[in-house]
Amino acid sequence: MADPFKPRAPFAPWDRRQLPGLFDVEETARRVGHYKWAEMKLFEALGGWVATVPELDVKMRLGTHCYHHAWHAELWHKRLPELREMNPDRLTVPPNDAMVRFVEAMTEPEAPEQTIEKLVGVYRVFIPHFIAAYTFHRNNTSEITDAPTIRSLNFALQDEVADWTDGEMLIQSLLDTPEEVQRAAAHQARLETLMLEAGGIAGPGTIGGME
Amino acid sequence: MRKFFPVEELARDQRFEQITMRQAQADPRTVLNAESRNKTNRLTPDRADASDRARGLMHGIFVGEIQALEGAGRTCWDFETGTEAPFALKLDMARQAWDEARHVEISVKLSDWMGTEIGQFAENTVLFEAACSNDPVLRLAGVNRALEGLAIDVFTTMKEFGDLAGDPFLEFCEDWMLADEVTHVKMGSDWLRRITENDAERRKKALEFQQVVDKLFSFGGTRSDSKESPIGLARRFRELAGFTDTEVEDIAEMSLKALEERKAFAAAALAGDTTADPA
Amino acid sequence: MTVTVTPEEFRFVHFDAAQTARIADDVARLTGIDRPVQVEIDETTPLSRVRIDLGDTIVLHVESGAFEDTKRPRHQSETATAASLARCLLKARDRLEGGFGEAPTDDDLTLQQAAAWDTYCAGRMARLGLTVNQQRFRYNFRNRFGFTDQVDTRFERVWAADALTWGELQSLTSGESMVVDAP
Repeated sequence: MADPFKPRAPFAPWDRRQLPGLFDVEETARRVGHYKWAEMKLFEALGGWVATVPELDVKMRLGTHCYHHAWHAELWHKRLPELREMNPDRLTVPPNDAMVRFVEAMTEPEAPEQTIEKLVGVYRVFIPHFIAAYTFHRNNTSEITDAPTIRSLNFALQDEVADWTDGEMLIQSLLDTPEEVQRAAAHQARLETLMLEAGGIAGPGTIGGME
Repeated sequence: MRKFFPVEELARDQRFEQITMRQAQADPRTVLNAESRNKTNRLTPDRADASDRARGLMHGIFVGEIQALEGAGRTCWDFETGTEAPFALKLDMARQAWDEARHVEISVKLSDWMGTEIGQFAENTVLFEAACSNDPVLRLAGVNRALEGLAIDVFTTMKEFGDLAGDPFLEFCEDWMLADEVTHVKMGSDWLRRITENDAERRKKALEFQQVVDKLFSFGGTRSDSKESPIGLARRFRELAGFTDTEVEDIAEMSLKALEERKAFAAAALAGDTTADPA
Repeated sequence: MTVTVTPEEFRFVHFDAAQTARIADDVARLTGIDRPVQVEIDETTPLSRVRIDLGDTIVLHVESGAFEDTKRPRHQSETATAASLARCLLKARDRLEGGFGEAPTDDDLTLQQAAAWDTYCAGRMARLGLTVNQQRFRYNFRNRFGFTDQVDTRFERVWAADALTWGELQSLTSGESMVVDAP
């Protein structure tokens, strides 16, 4: 074994983590608060929809995914005080009114014939935007100072991607006719337009700017 | 999507047929000539109709789990976080939704193993009815303490059946589900205590509601200490779930009373009370 | 061959005597019964036992649960009615054709013997085109004989068998004999 008292580099050669990050503590708390608000809205909607969908496989998936997003909300709830926000409810808010309108529109469908709309709202619009927001955050925050947020983002992303796959498989299995494809596309476009106005899960700048 | 979803609109595919508790209990045949029949209805493998009975009960568990999933899910949606229900309570309900979804999956697999088809038996919607209260505390008392308490009794009976019959899957699965249900009952007991800590009146109301639901969930004597009841009262697991000795005794007494009342109800139906006619 | 059904009118269940007679007639032809069949329905019980009296007329004493639609309590199911009748009429035919002389009376059958005979009937019913859930009978068989691969093999052989004697059925289920004519 090498001499244990011989000085070693604090960062091993394979550890390429960088100190700089795009977000300071305040901005991170703001984003995390929006994430928590959005995850809450999602798990509540998934739970509410369980009773309204007749398809047994969809019913069971919604129940399972409901918990995934509740757990994400809990992760963000616990992260907020670590970001100097001692009253987590203060930052548990939507980024803007457009996001509120998006959630209202997404949770509008209730009838048993509207499973396609319910799933499209969640799995073709909302969850892809979570994946975008979380991926941008993970790839741009300080890998050293903000490691706890990165850890939670990774856990959440793992669920989001798996749930996205589940949901997309369900949607594809439900689309039987060209009319249903049109229905799905129209609903997606309507919600995507609202999300565009909102600027993403954390508002404008959720995934940075292209300029 | 509206708040508070009516039981009549629970979404099901075409394989399912739903009936109400009133319809289920109004069958006059259940009391006619009852004296001449075998006095024990307890589900044990030495019954000639054991596997068919177990299949029927398994289907009852399956639809019960669907309704429990729906009930937990609705509690996530129906109440505003903070003003109407604590954030942590809703997280627990989301966790319960996942557990119940898993139980539905297990029930489907077990039903398949036992030769039962989805929707083969009528679905009694009484369980979701208890999940419709507009007070989250009453909902917890009705669902987590009464409904999940019944689940403890049912799973214990099925676990014993699987064990005696040597069915390796049944005993294994019921044991896992039993562990979850004990957790859910404890969850309900904890929240009931915490939320009503400074509100004695609300706690009293919740416990009264639980009593009403417990009686309803005795299914007119389907669950009691009596051998006339197919499902026994799982006293030990109820203790583990946080029920006091007095509470268990109260449920035992109430269940026996429900058995007698169901007999009287069916007799009334037989005597021509048309409101009891399920047709 | 004639079929009679009693009662003609029902008070406690929503059954149809004429429909029952039609189903019984079809099933009797299908199972090769060549003598009159009388179906006596006891509508006062939801249980589902059937007792068979063999004579010049085959009398089936049926508890109403045997014909019931489990999706709609107290209503009749054509599938359940046909299945219950077929199972009993095949048993009746087994006893009438000989080879089942040493079989105990229905009341004296052990749970294992009853499960074996039910399996033998259900396999033949499936081959006659009647709706039968094989897994239901496999589960009943396992409950009576054990949850092992050997038991499952015996089940498959009983299920596939035709023209057995009581002795052959007993040998098959006990595992003493493994030789069965393929259907």
